[in-house]
Amino acid sequence: MTAYWFGDVEGGICTPFAGDAMAAAARITSLCTSMDGFVPPDWQQAVASGIFRDRTEYLSTLQQVCITASELAVRESYAGKDVELLQMVRTLDEMDTVINLLSERVADWYQVRHPSFSRKYKKTPAHILTKTIRERSRGGALGSVAQEIERLAETRTALAKDVSGRASTVIPNTSALIGGLVAARLLSHAGSLAQLARLPASAIQVLGARTALFSHLRSQAPSPKHGIIFQHRRVHNAPREVRGRVARVLAGKLAIAARLDYYRGSADQEFLASAQARIDAAGETPIGREDGS
Amino acid sequence: MIWKGDVLVSEGEGGVYGERSLGGARVWDPYRSKLSALYHVGAGVDLTPDMRVLYLGAANGTTVSHVADYVEVVYAIEFAPRPMQDLLMVARRRRNVIPFMADAARPEQYAPVVEAVDLVYQDVAQPDQAAIAIRNCAFLKTGGVLVLMLKTRSVDVRKDPADVFRETLGLLTDAGFLLKESVWLASYHADHAAIICTKPSGV
Repeated sequence: MTAYWFGDVEGGICTPFAGDAMAAAARITSLCTSMDGFVPPDWQQAVASGIFRDRTEYLSTLQQVCITASELAVRESYAGKDVELLQMVRTLDEMDTVINLLSERVADWYQVRHPSFSRKYKKTPAHILTKTIRERSRGGALGSVAQEIERLAETRTALAKDVSGRASTVIPNTSALIGGLVAARLLSHAGSLAQLARLPASAIQVLGARTALFSHLRSQAPSPKHGIIFQHRRVHNAPREVRGRVARVLAGKLAIAARLDYYRGSADQEFLASAQARIDAAGETPIGREDGS
Repeated sequence: MIWKGDVLVSEGEGGVYGERSLGGARVWDPYRSKLSALYHVGAGVDLTPDMRVLYLGAANGTTVSHVADYVEVVYAIEFAPRPMQDLLMVARRRRNVIPFMADAARPEQYAPVVEAVDLVYQDVAQPDQAAIAIRNCAFLKTGGVLVLMLKTRSVDVRKDPADVFRETLGLLTDAGFLLKESVWLASYHADHAAIICTKPSGV
């Protein structure tokens, strides 16, 4: 028997499928057809068995069913709880870029207005400088741009909180190991939680270090030790000689954490405690004395 | 194919993606569409009103909308949900576009839907493009045509595009396809080649 969208065909006899577009759409997504000796659906057979008047009706019904099925499929793929987190963290990172660019530009502009101004020998952080610019350039376009940057920065801070909050519910284990923000970034680079859960630890370790990885694969360049996981304090605070090891151990535990998150969906305290201890140990033992536990 | 001077156009409802119109017809930009580029380099098979087409990697439905202007029906397969939303919009406005969300590497997902076609057009960013084409030739009528837009960089960035091209040709001819024409789209799309094959009887 071969199952087609309009019915089942066995030995030249067609049993029509009765149901509306919704039911037909649900049916075609559940069908499992073997491609061995496969014969594509034949509209003439469908018309001959009286399901449709002619080819026009065959095609228009088929289109309706396929549109319905595709709409359902799109909706389903957006229903995952990681989908919105992905958009949130990408927006956050874009906002950072925009805020930095605008702050630099506004500082340049301010310098033109005040030829004696210089940032040298001052440790003014960018956001303080933006505030100063806003206060000293009231009423003009420069002042309002500076004000917009500050507002954007406020939104950014609120969004960052949302991101880590949501990350700790969507990916509790990964977030506990590396922090909500970095965990969400890992998710964003992998594409989805399902994909992150299927990545090997070695890939998680260099996620976000694409340029370095490909220059390593193409030429004699050294392999990257870490990608986004470098953003975690345990990696970037580790002494240079053990940083690679910390990154590798952390990535290994992250790979397990991501699988727990995807397949179980709740925090596993026992795993987290042992993982934290193992990662800490990797950063503390001097090189050459690793017992490999 | 309809040419107005040296501009390729298609006749149908415009305004799909902000394309220009020329004397009431829709301009088909070779820099945006690889299929248009193929016609611009003087190759490709003519699209005719009686044709049934299986389009793998339909994306936003930009090229699909032009193909649909020429042929009877287009079965448009796309895997990613975001471009699918755009493709659905195109399908709702065109009676002969049948969208389906599935992976082109798994034709069993859309086998109950897609009838035997005259043309399989493939434009997917996957490493195993030849294998995907071979698997989908189950839908191709005997004597039907496969147009494979080979994205050499998707196969392997480290390999020389010319090597990827040769290997893909080898895989297709080993599977029984008859090579009709192959051409690089260099002036329009870097590292992209078009491979046109026919399916002989008994494959």
